[in-house]
Amino acid sequence: MNARTTKSALAVLAALAFAAILASCGAGAGPDQLTTALLSLPDNPLVAFRILINAGSAEDPTGKDGLCRLTWSLLAEGGSRLRSAQDISRALFPMAASISLSLDKETAVISATVHKDNLRTFYAIFRDMLLDPGFRAEDFERLRAAQLAYVEKTLTANMNEQLGKEILGLMIYDGHPYGRLDEGTVESIRTLTLEEAKEFYRQNFVRGNIVLGLAGGYPEGFPAEVEKDFKKLPAGFTPRIPLSARRPRRGLEFVLAEKDTPGTAISMGFPVALTKADRDFFALWVAGAHFGEHRQHVSHLFQKIREERGQNYGDYAYIEHFVQGRDKFPAPGHARRQQYFSIWIRPLPNANRHFVIRQTLRELRRLVDEGISEERFQLVRTYLLNYTKLYAQTLDERLGWRMDSRFYGYEDFLAEAARILPTLKREDVNAAIKKYLQADNVEIAVITPNAAALMDDLVSNRLSPIRYANPNMPAAVLEEDEVIRSYPLAVNRENVRIAPAAEFFKTSGIPGR
Amino acid sequence: MIRILAMLAAGSLAFSAAAPPAAATDVFPYPMKVELLDNGLKVVSIPLKNPDIIAFYTVVRSGSRNEIEPGKSGFAHFFEHMMFKGTKTVPRPAYDDYLTRLGAGTNGYTSDDYTFYFVVFAGRDNLEEVVRTEADRFLNLYYTEEMIKTEAPVIEGEYLASVSNPGRRVDELLRDTAYDLHSYKHTTLGYLRDIQDMPRQFDYSLLYKDRFYAPDNSILLVVGDFDHGRLMDLVRKYYAPWKKSNYVLQTPVEPPQKEARRAHLLWPGKTIARLAIGFHGPAFSDELPDKAAMDLLAAVAFAPSSPIIQRLVRDEQKCLSLYADFSDTRDPGLLVLNAAVKNDEDLPYVEARILEELARLKNEPVSEKDLADIKANLKYSTAAALGTTDGVAGILSFYLNLTGDPGTLNRLFALYDRITPADIRSVAARYFRAENSTTVTLSSGGEK
Repeated sequence: MNARTTKSALAVLAALAFAAILASCGAGAGPDQLTTALLSLPDNPLVAFRILINAGSAEDPTGKDGLCRLTWSLLAEGGSRLRSAQDISRALFPMAASISLSLDKETAVISATVHKDNLRTFYAIFRDMLLDPGFRAEDFERLRAAQLAYVEKTLTANMNEQLGKEILGLMIYDGHPYGRLDEGTVESIRTLTLEEAKEFYRQNFVRGNIVLGLAGGYPEGFPAEVEKDFKKLPAGFTPRIPLSARRPRRGLEFVLAEKDTPGTAISMGFPVALTKADRDFFALWVAGAHFGEHRQHVSHLFQKIREERGQNYGDYAYIEHFVQGRDKFPAPGHARRQQYFSIWIRPLPNANRHFVIRQTLRELRRLVDEGISEERFQLVRTYLLNYTKLYAQTLDERLGWRMDSRFYGYEDFLAEAARILPTLKREDVNAAIKKYLQADNVEIAVITPNAAALMDDLVSNRLSPIRYANPNMPAAVLEEDEVIRSYPLAVNRENVRIAPAAEFFKTSGIPGR
Repeated sequence: MIRILAMLAAGSLAFSAAAPPAAATDVFPYPMKVELLDNGLKVVSIPLKNPDIIAFYTVVRSGSRNEIEPGKSGFAHFFEHMMFKGTKTVPRPAYDDYLTRLGAGTNGYTSDDYTFYFVVFAGRDNLEEVVRTEADRFLNLYYTEEMIKTEAPVIEGEYLASVSNPGRRVDELLRDTAYDLHSYKHTTLGYLRDIQDMPRQFDYSLLYKDRFYAPDNSILLVVGDFDHGRLMDLVRKYYAPWKKSNYVLQTPVEPPQKEARRAHLLWPGKTIARLAIGFHGPAFSDELPDKAAMDLLAAVAFAPSSPIIQRLVRDEQKCLSLYADFSDTRDPGLLVLNAAVKNDEDLPYVEARILEELARLKNEPVSEKDLADIKANLKYSTAAALGTTDGVAGILSFYLNLTGDPGTLNRLFALYDRITPADIRSVAARYFRAENSTTVTLSSGGEK
């Protein structure tokens, strides 16, 4: 267990000064030095770049929500000083190389994969985009308008499930640096200027904030060349923004975003006091996979809500922020110092919304009270041991997982998982459930029509009967339904807020407060 | 081809010790073995030396194209859901436990022409269990009428999850407007009214299974870390009793469109406006030039670096995105130009610019440079997409569905190589005619 103690100590340090930890693995020597993550696979015909920037949307200045995204978008999608965005697009097309940005609260990653036939030509363009950006007014206007359109129209009008997740983010991180939409608000995006983006770049695209990731069949000496270029960046780093304590919880808190829609989308959750850096993560991971593994039949919620009752397309739970990458696997590049537990209930017929909210909270309560059985523990642990072997297949994924590992103080998190999971016992998992999960204080975001009626149903604890297309539902399901339909929820009217969906993200915070 | 472009972002090469290419010019570099069982089941096997991952795909050559009877739209996809219900020997809970223990990446996926089932897993020792269990569910699937009634609302839930996406609604309306007879008229999810009738379709589900879930309509594709001889022993052992169907599908022939068609959808609330212009085009072929020429035409004319994207997306910023989509399908499909338009009032303007561009393509040949660029793009996209065990299986399964022949991918790329600017101009003139077009628009209907 000594090794673990060291890891935890490293993890704490990582939380304080991420760059310093990486320096031990890379080329840099201090918090304002560049660091490098290399994965050399000489026979591989491709080369993957991941440029990790140690400044995410939590760094947005007050009133300037969305500035970080817009600035890093200008690097990934704008022109360099020498070449316009159009020239770049034309040059990259025959190489089939595309550059993409992935943004999270604390970090951003600009990544690209290119065939080694084209490595030199590609890199010359890519380097200039990052180190000598054009910051043209037309690129700025185009990307700002796209960001605005996403927030103003697409998110609120066309993406009910994503809207639910983003509102949940506001609720969980109310008053916290994570509690803002990465893209910003309609109001804040309108105020952003090109000068502000340039300044954000100057302050944050600095040596100590950059981790250069390279993987695949690059020639010998190439990483040194890239390092040499990036070392021309000014010294400096962005001190980690202090993460305030999250406000005390007040039982079940609802935000109902009202909208004319045939299906109700539900997201719920609460902060958890652990990350991958903690030893307990592995035990809670088993619990999370058991309760709601993303898009897998092993998910208990999926079995209860979809398989037994046919309510919707799927029901999942996560012990940390989750972004789907290739296929259904978690995308790397979303490491955070603080995490939250969440449940995603996919759209279901509006008539059943009250029943399913009850059912979900009841299942959460049962998880907390009863833990998981030995049989499920064994099964789910075996599942995780095998399934995680599939996580890092592409070059970009392999590099991404390695880079995330370092954020949490590991050399290789997936290898660590393969080592730790077999040592776990059921008691470890149940202890972690008791320690980190609870069912009393839960934030719940619901996208639904006729919100006032739902509020009345919730507050009055009205019975929520349910009807099925199948007249011969199994007796066990109907018996359980009897319990669920009257399962009491302690909902106070003052803990339910209602606002039209279209009002969200116009300004900061939750509308109608 | 568009499919490969779309997959680029996902792929990169993860294994290194691949066998030498089958032929120096082939885009698909891995040697493969193809065997045919007596019952008509084709097995395509591509052993790769590393890593420790196997992709086991079952390609059922039946998708929404096969839903030729009224009231049965969405059935191929619904049946895919029923395929996870287990058998008498391995009932659903045991099937779930098996997949869970295996820690497999697994799913089914249904589209116009096909339904794929895949199990991607680690460990060659697990191969026999996978072959046995997959064979069992294809040969011995068992479910009751009650199970149909419980599963059907899940499809409605899937539909509900999709309705907040205007792109889905535009696709639905475009197909419905552009086609009169062919089953491409409906989407894979199907019409809502048919979805709501699914609980009553137990008998039809049995008929559907007998017709299409048969060895003579299916292909096994196995890629990764295994021994071919061992695989074939297992496949013969477990799949030999599967009975042929001999059913011959007659899809309705779509009559030529005689005049331009148009439809509009008012979205509840604010939205980015959408424009989709579809032209009836040719079916997939790895021999006849039209589909390949139109692929290249669409890719050149609407590449991210093309003049029209530069104008509408970058300079004038009327559009948030503009792209061409021309899926490879077994029967004649639609080439669709899709635009996300920032403001409703710009819809006519954007439509006019796209039509101007299409007119130009009829008159001016694309440049040799542009054509060479798109061919290079395809070559490198494919190399990237073939970069994982899963990527190889994903790409090849798609082409297997189209022709049943694993040599198709290489023949298609050889065909692309032969396409000239004159071929492209010729298809532009023949297919981009107003009377062959269907235009669908979607705009905001005010706040609700």
